[in-house]
Amino acid sequence: MTDEFEPRIVAFLCKWCSSAGSDLAGVSRMEYPSNVLPITVMCSGSVSPLYIFSAFNKGADGVLVSGCHPGDCHYLKGNYYARRRIALVKKLLEFIGLESQRFQMSWVSAAEGKKYTQVIKDFVKEIKPLGPQTKLRRNQ
Amino acid sequence: MVNVEDIKKEAIRILKEGKVKYIIGYKKSTNGSMSVPAFIESSEDVENLIWDPTCVYNLTRFLVDEKRRKAREKNPDERPVGIIVKGCDSRAIIVLLQEKFINRDDVYILGISCETTGVLDEKKLSKKLNGKKAEKVEYDEKNNFAITTADGKIKVPADEILAERCLECRANFPAINDVLFGEKVERKSDKPFESLEKIESLSKEKRWSFWKEQLDKCIRCYACRSVCPMCYCDECVVDTINFAVTADTTAEEKAQRIKWVEKSPATSENFVYHLVRAIHLAGRCIDCGECERVCPMDIPLRFLNKKMEKEAKELFDYDAGFDPDQPSLVSCFKDEDPEDFIR
Repeated sequence: MTDEFEPRIVAFLCKWCSSAGSDLAGVSRMEYPSNVLPITVMCSGSVSPLYIFSAFNKGADGVLVSGCHPGDCHYLKGNYYARRRIALVKKLLEFIGLESQRFQMSWVSAAEGKKYTQVIKDFVKEIKPLGPQTKLRRNQ
Repeated sequence: MVNVEDIKKEAIRILKEGKVKYIIGYKKSTNGSMSVPAFIESSEDVENLIWDPTCVYNLTRFLVDEKRRKAREKNPDERPVGIIVKGCDSRAIIVLLQEKFINRDDVYILGISCETTGVLDEKKLSKKLNGKKAEKVEYDEKNNFAITTADGKIKVPADEILAERCLECRANFPAINDVLFGEKVERKSDKPFESLEKIESLSKEKRWSFWKEQLDKCIRCYACRSVCPMCYCDECVVDTINFAVTADTTAEEKAQRIKWVEKSPATSENFVYHLVRAIHLAGRCIDCGECERVCPMDIPLRFLNKKMEKEAKELFDYDAGFDPDQPSLVSCFKDEDPEDFIR
């Protein structure tokens, strides 16, 4: 075993697309890093900014919000709302000095198991050099 | 220049006609220099009303309180409340209307145009006077304030003691009103985000150390939340008493309740609190600067809200508090919203 830093990523996946996409990656036996803690939510639009701050607060090194492609939302427009809100959260986190790579958003459809693994691979690769996230982490 | 006598005349008229229940305005404080909010219920009290550069407060917070009070009354007085607002405050009313928190019939708006000046910053004033006490501050001709101290009267250029937000003001006259006092003067503010850009231009690590230093000071007194006209949620995420505790509530149940933010003023908790507040105010904050003014620890909270205001403008071309019929920032979207950050 090496002592290499393994980031912990909290991924908020929408039930209809991204979560199904991650399932597809799983049942297709695609390999991807095991650093992700997936949390299925009903819609990317239901991800409150508080969930994101709270994830960082409780020790996440990275947070991913993933939903359906624009136009594909099960609730018709949830992902459009998410897009707006997440853009603001991202700007705010950058403004207070958190590394912008630590918070990302992606569109992954239920058929894109491959894309899901790629998103996770890239994410892990990008935040590994940054080391653990300590800025917003609560001291235990 | 707005003549306070005109305001008084209108106040007497609407009180005598019974148009409003009472008027929220400004009066002289007992210590003599600054103003305090005044609740004028009869035409005799109108004499106390003042209008000068010390009228810094955003009185629209009292409309939130008024709504709550009315909800508790058995036979509420349905007449509107008269309120004196500056340009910035009037935009707060627009946001409240936009969110349908209050109805247009609930308020009678006496709008005052700040014209080319604004209101002062108490800290800047005391610095300017070297600790001497100002007995009276008045608007003087052309962008000067006339300050009366124990040693006599001095003239100070308004720009030196104006509140930061007034220097960057984009709405010097009320965006909504029933009566308007003063003239609708164009005020050039070519750099509405100048002070913010200074922080933005710092490197990532510098920004972090800036905010860490600032937010570490926070003692979580929640004065910013109490004074904010937009912070009207019945339950706030930082309060842990979001669920009723009954006699049957077991200790285990209480322990397992979701606690988003700890009460202790640790760095991480302070950050979550202030980030949540900033996000909640995105597209709603009208930059009245009250949070920063009331902060006992002098945290420049305005910048967090200002940042959101700037992003709303740049990313979504959204200006808070100008149009009561516009949907609020995060409850609408456009097809062309930026998504270059999404994978």
